[in-house]
Amino acid sequence: MRVLLLFALLGVIGCAKDDGITRIQLWHQMQPEDRAVLVRVVEAYDAKLGAVEVEVIYKETEELRSNYQSAALAGLGPDLLYGPSDQVGPLATMQFVRPLDEWFGKDDFSRLDERAVVKFKGATYQIADRIGNHLALVYNKKLLPTPPQTTDELIRVGQEVTKDLNGDGVTDQWGLVWNFTEPFFFIPWFSGFGGWVLDDNAQPTLNTPAAANAFRFVRSLRDEYKIVPPDCDYNTADALFKEGRAAMLINGPWSWAGYGAAGIDYELARIPLVSSTGLWPAPMVSPLGYSINVHSDGKELAATVELLKYLLSDSVQQEFVEATGIIPSSLAVRAEPSYVSRPHVATSLSQFETGKAMPIVPELRAVWDAMRASYQSVLGGYLSPEDAAAKMQRDAELKIREMNE
Amino acid sequence: MNSERNFALWMVAPAAVVVALVVVWPFLYNIVLSFSNMSLLHIHDWELIGPRQYEKVFSDTSFYVVFGKTMVWTVLNVFFHVTIGVALAVILHENVPGKRLFRTLLILPWAIPAVVTALTWRGMFHYEYGAVNLILTKVFAQTPIQWLNDPLGTFAACVITNVWLGFPFMMVVALGGLQSIPKELYEAAMIDGASAWQRFKTITLPMLVPVLMPAVILGFVWTFNKVDIVWLVSNGGEPADQTHILVSYVYRAAFNLYRYGYAAAGSMIIFLLLVLFSVTFMRRMRAKQGA
Repeated sequence: MRVLLLFALLGVIGCAKDDGITRIQLWHQMQPEDRAVLVRVVEAYDAKLGAVEVEVIYKETEELRSNYQSAALAGLGPDLLYGPSDQVGPLATMQFVRPLDEWFGKDDFSRLDERAVVKFKGATYQIADRIGNHLALVYNKKLLPTPPQTTDELIRVGQEVTKDLNGDGVTDQWGLVWNFTEPFFFIPWFSGFGGWVLDDNAQPTLNTPAAANAFRFVRSLRDEYKIVPPDCDYNTADALFKEGRAAMLINGPWSWAGYGAAGIDYELARIPLVSSTGLWPAPMVSPLGYSINVHSDGKELAATVELLKYLLSDSVQQEFVEATGIIPSSLAVRAEPSYVSRPHVATSLSQFETGKAMPIVPELRAVWDAMRASYQSVLGGYLSPEDAAAKMQRDAELKIREMNE
Repeated sequence: MNSERNFALWMVAPAAVVVALVVVWPFLYNIVLSFSNMSLLHIHDWELIGPRQYEKVFSDTSFYVVFGKTMVWTVLNVFFHVTIGVALAVILHENVPGKRLFRTLLILPWAIPAVVTALTWRGMFHYEYGAVNLILTKVFAQTPIQWLNDPLGTFAACVITNVWLGFPFMMVVALGGLQSIPKELYEAAMIDGASAWQRFKTITLPMLVPVLMPAVILGFVWTFNKVDIVWLVSNGGEPADQTHILVSYVYRAAFNLYRYGYAAAGSMIIFLLLVLFSVTFMRRMRAKQGA
């Protein structure tokens, strides 16, 4: 009898709710300003439909990627996944995301920027609600009325505004700050010196004079010209700029609204042209968008497809634009006079035009890994720029081989 | 009697099922994966390939470098956890003024989430604006240290952070142990004219060892696997991937390079190393106690 009671109790606890509501889950990595909009539009969607309940879960980008991998491997995970396009290659290779061509066709895509439709080996695995994700120069107009156009100017004005304001021997105001230990933030300089990460066959192209020259240049900004702080990660750069203690910053669209909110009178500009090569730095540009879990099925899958259509709609993109100033994937929203006249849009688009598409192949993971170690070795003074370029090429090739075993 | 036993078994059953699902099954699955070629290209069609992944781990020189760092990391941390923890416990066991307040304050590091601790300390180790260098330069007139740009500095920063986080546990364990030591022993020793150091060496320490032994084993295993502090303070292994312990090394193999079979073999090696340490340590301690 007791045993029966126990089973009955466990049965009651274990029963899934069957109240006619379809529950779907969305994992994303949006920044706080975007996150608030996402929650708002999803709540409106839930309220409108009534029979669908969307659970929105935030995860930091790397956490999102590793958690999704683990969950999908176990046949679980969210129905809908939002993130940058570079995750598409690995996830599609591992068959963790569904091709979307069954539900989305030319008519749907024709209203979007073609770069928003992320294809891998012929199939569409991600549709973006925004494109860009590109780094740009952000400058504090109070400290620097006009942005530099070339790297020579950057150094000159950087030195002018780098100051010890109270004479205690410690620099209080910096010319330029950015997360210079992270390879993603090194790409504009790498490309500005004529380099790029992978060739058309997804083979690394890191051991080049461009890499060595770019390493040397970044190091000189810190050690020779002393316009960047000796120790500057993302949070330090962000804090210094928000406190008005840095005249220029290199950061992406996810951060810009935060500087306005912090009371900084800022404007965007292109990252300065590299004087010695005459090339504009090309930050990596990538769409940010939605993919559907391969394990989403039945009525959850149907509801997920509908939710995705809603999240890609002009009205939702308009809400994001108004709150955060993204470059929407919808051509109609982008053509709106209210969008074009928004502050920072023209300058953001100007930087976007110099950008280069981020590769979505899995090999990029190996490249990031290989670059990080060598790049930081140059900054730390353990390797010469030439040796570091050679080492990162060797490491990338080895990691790609290991990855493809 | 029999029905009582059955009832107890049924009561334990749900917990046993949960443990089987979240501990036993993943562990067995991991063993299988460690003998497989599961990777980016063989995520669904993986097959068993024998001990090849173990051979790869053992033939990788970076594994030995990281293993060496992990051992130094673990031994340093456990040493400082125990010495600081026991020293503070001995002080707090005496009738010092403000004993309760100090006890609460000293337990605080343990109560703060490790993520908060790690990120706070990372900020404090900042070259220019961090509290540590500001104290060094302004108070002690020393040159600032490149804590987070230098491999040794970063490693030291990780150790300092983890020592701060870990000593309260040993202090609490030692305090519990001290309360169980009969006062008569100290009284007899004092009558015999034993100094404070002699009393500590011949009474306190031997009586604390049985209490501290399980805590030291736990501390060793926890510290060996303490990836969060290393990862957050060093910002993922910076500089130049020089600040890794075995667990973060395995994590990168699995989640950055999708080498699941290799990572599973690495994690099994970590497990076996820890089992070997725990068994050896316990045997030695038992032998010492028996002697």
